[in-house]
Amino acid sequence: MRRVIVLLLLAALLASTSSPPAASAADKIRVVATIPDLKALAEEVGGKLVDVEALARGNQNAHELEVRPSLMLKLRRADILLENGLDLDTWADVVVQGANNPNIVRGAPGRVDVSRGIHVLEVPSTRVDRSMGDVHPLGNPHYSLDPGTAPIVTQNIVEAFARFAPDRRAEFERNRQAFLSRLDEAMAKWARTMEPLKGAKVVVYHPQWIYLLTRFGLNQAATLEDRPGIPASPAQVTRVIRQMKDEQIKVLIVEPWNDLKLASRVADEAGAKAVVLASMVGGVKGADTYIAAIDHNVNALAQALR
Amino acid sequence: MRVLSLIFVAMCTALAPAAAAAQDAGELRKQIEQLQKQLDAVTERLRQLESQPRSPTVPAQPAPTPGPGAAAPPPTAAPPSAMDLASPRQPFALYQQRGAGQLLFDIGITGDFVGNLTQRNVEKAQGGTFAGQENRFFPREVELSLFGQIDPYASAVVRIEAGEDTRGEDTGVSLAEASVTLLTLPFGTQAKFGQMRNRFGYSNEVHEHDLAWVDRPNVMRNFFGPNGLVEKGAEVTFVPDLPFYVEALAGIFNGDNETSFGRGALENPLYTGRVRTFLELGDAHGLQLGMSVAAGTNEEKLSTTILGWEARYKYRPDGWLHPLLTLTGEGLYSMRKVSVGVDVDQDGVIDRVEKRSRDHSGWYAAVEVQPFRRWAGGFRYDWSQYPADPGWEWAIEPYVTFWPSEFLRFRLAYKHTDRSPQTREAFNLNGGSARLVDEIFFQGTFIMGAHPAHPF
Repeated sequence: MRRVIVLLLLAALLASTSSPPAASAADKIRVVATIPDLKALAEEVGGKLVDVEALARGNQNAHELEVRPSLMLKLRRADILLENGLDLDTWADVVVQGANNPNIVRGAPGRVDVSRGIHVLEVPSTRVDRSMGDVHPLGNPHYSLDPGTAPIVTQNIVEAFARFAPDRRAEFERNRQAFLSRLDEAMAKWARTMEPLKGAKVVVYHPQWIYLLTRFGLNQAATLEDRPGIPASPAQVTRVIRQMKDEQIKVLIVEPWNDLKLASRVADEAGAKAVVLASMVGGVKGADTYIAAIDHNVNALAQALR
Repeated sequence: MRVLSLIFVAMCTALAPAAAAAQDAGELRKQIEQLQKQLDAVTERLRQLESQPRSPTVPAQPAPTPGPGAAAPPPTAAPPSAMDLASPRQPFALYQQRGAGQLLFDIGITGDFVGNLTQRNVEKAQGGTFAGQENRFFPREVELSLFGQIDPYASAVVRIEAGEDTRGEDTGVSLAEASVTLLTLPFGTQAKFGQMRNRFGYSNEVHEHDLAWVDRPNVMRNFFGPNGLVEKGAEVTFVPDLPFYVEALAGIFNGDNETSFGRGALENPLYTGRVRTFLELGDAHGLQLGMSVAAGTNEEKLSTTILGWEARYKYRPDGWLHPLLTLTGEGLYSMRKVSVGVDVDQDGVIDRVEKRSRDHSGWYAAVEVQPFRRWAGGFRYDWSQYPADPGWEWAIEPYVTFWPSEFLRFRLAYKHTDRSPQTREAFNLNGGSARLVDEIFFQGTFIMGAHPAHPF
């Protein structure tokens, strides 16, 4: 009897430690993404074969998430954790630590940094320190705001999913291609919309829009924050208003989680508009899918710049 | 003559392209020189730009990103400039300049400085919150933290701490924490061994500089000493696969804590346990509840068991960067066996020694309101007995906190402590008295480098 119990325990131990577990046809891969953009892209790639949850909500600041035990619960049974990387979601380490799930610890096959292969912008070329604010030493991490990065991100997601369900790779790839076709169509429309506005200057509240602006040929003239992550001082507010007036800048982009009251005041005084864009999927009403979020951002920007 | 003319024409014809080529070469040289000048100007401009700090408000002009379907370009990293190479390397740069391909753990330094003003008689009796440091400004905790992965299966944290414990003495350096966590154990378990701040209740695990108040709550200091419960040993956590979050913890430690335990040996170890759960009441509300136990042997070789209860609630309106309201409360109940001499016949001679139980308790409740990102205010109410001595004390501590940035914090607080008359022996020392204590605290805290996110 004792031998049977020992054997059963050993079998259970082996079953629980073997990785990566191959998903059967009936089993869905349990995926958790740190931010909603990655959740949206993972759903496009995984279709019905995956269950995806996000840790952050669309209207939150992904830099500073409150680490709640409820987030740990989401990770408790996850097969895959999709991370944005580039030091945006470093809080995920604390969440993982409280989840007691070996599938997603650093170095495990289920821990996936989808920034791999992204052409990172604003990588500091000189020594950085916090006198420059909350700078990201690895470069600007908000690449998901540029729809042009979706092919790389979705490719990384396909690779991650295929490690867990190798027999479903073709289906993941088909889903990805179908999504990219829709994105291509939308991209052509967005390019047409933004074409006449190329070269226009905008001011941003927090410097997280450079990927979107670069994609459509707009210029970031200033940030309302004194430095990244440092609240605007009165002197900075005055400086930005003067610059907006001098350079006839029509738009101030503000994130849903930032101080809209201050942004509106600055925009009013400068004779411009404060435009709330979706900093992540779900950040504003109607931006519930990846394409819908970009669509909202492009249309809102174009309307304000005209 | 005709022949000479023909030769002349032929030579002119032959030399014409050469002359034209010479003319082209001259043009090209001019263009090259012009380009060289432009290149020199651009190089000079680049050098000037690189020698200045990078302005965060002026974005770099990046190369266009690829469109859908395009192949991924290789990640690019700018080579270090001459200025980079010439500039002095600070230890801080180790963290900031880690990049792809560099094997390095995270490094952070925190500094926590405290000043306090109180009555002269409290200073004499050394009965203030920071005993022996009354009416002083001192470095309470300057901490070097190193943390990261050891291998795919384990992570580690090492914290080395320096602080001035006693007036006028040199700042001592000590190992505050050094522990390894095994991350890949089966069945939802994790194990941790080393020296650590025990997960007993909410505040004990929190380092001094991260506390929401200048000082550790009275009940925690009275029952676990000024530094709280810090032990050497091992603990295992278990997170069952349930629809709601539950974490169970069991640990075994030396029992070095002199205030409540103090045997300091695994023959009579300190056992710890904790269960905590979390209730998410919508996106804006969160409530964490927990219960802890620490059972060991005190210096009299008798048992001590301490039970703890904790509750923490946060209200964070949707989209806010910080909580608007935070409520925290903890309670401790100590059951300590002590030896008491009994004079049965009242002749002034102890006839026998009996073992009795001293059941003492304490608690605190705190409220914090943070209406603005940079400002918070609140107060804490403490009521506590002492683990072995008679008497009790209560205190109230209102405070205001200001963050110029995420990494720098100032705090100003006032604390009034009222101790019961039975404490006279313990607090009326050196001709002073610390029965009624009024204190003003100032705290300045900074973080340099990496600092992990705080748990709920």
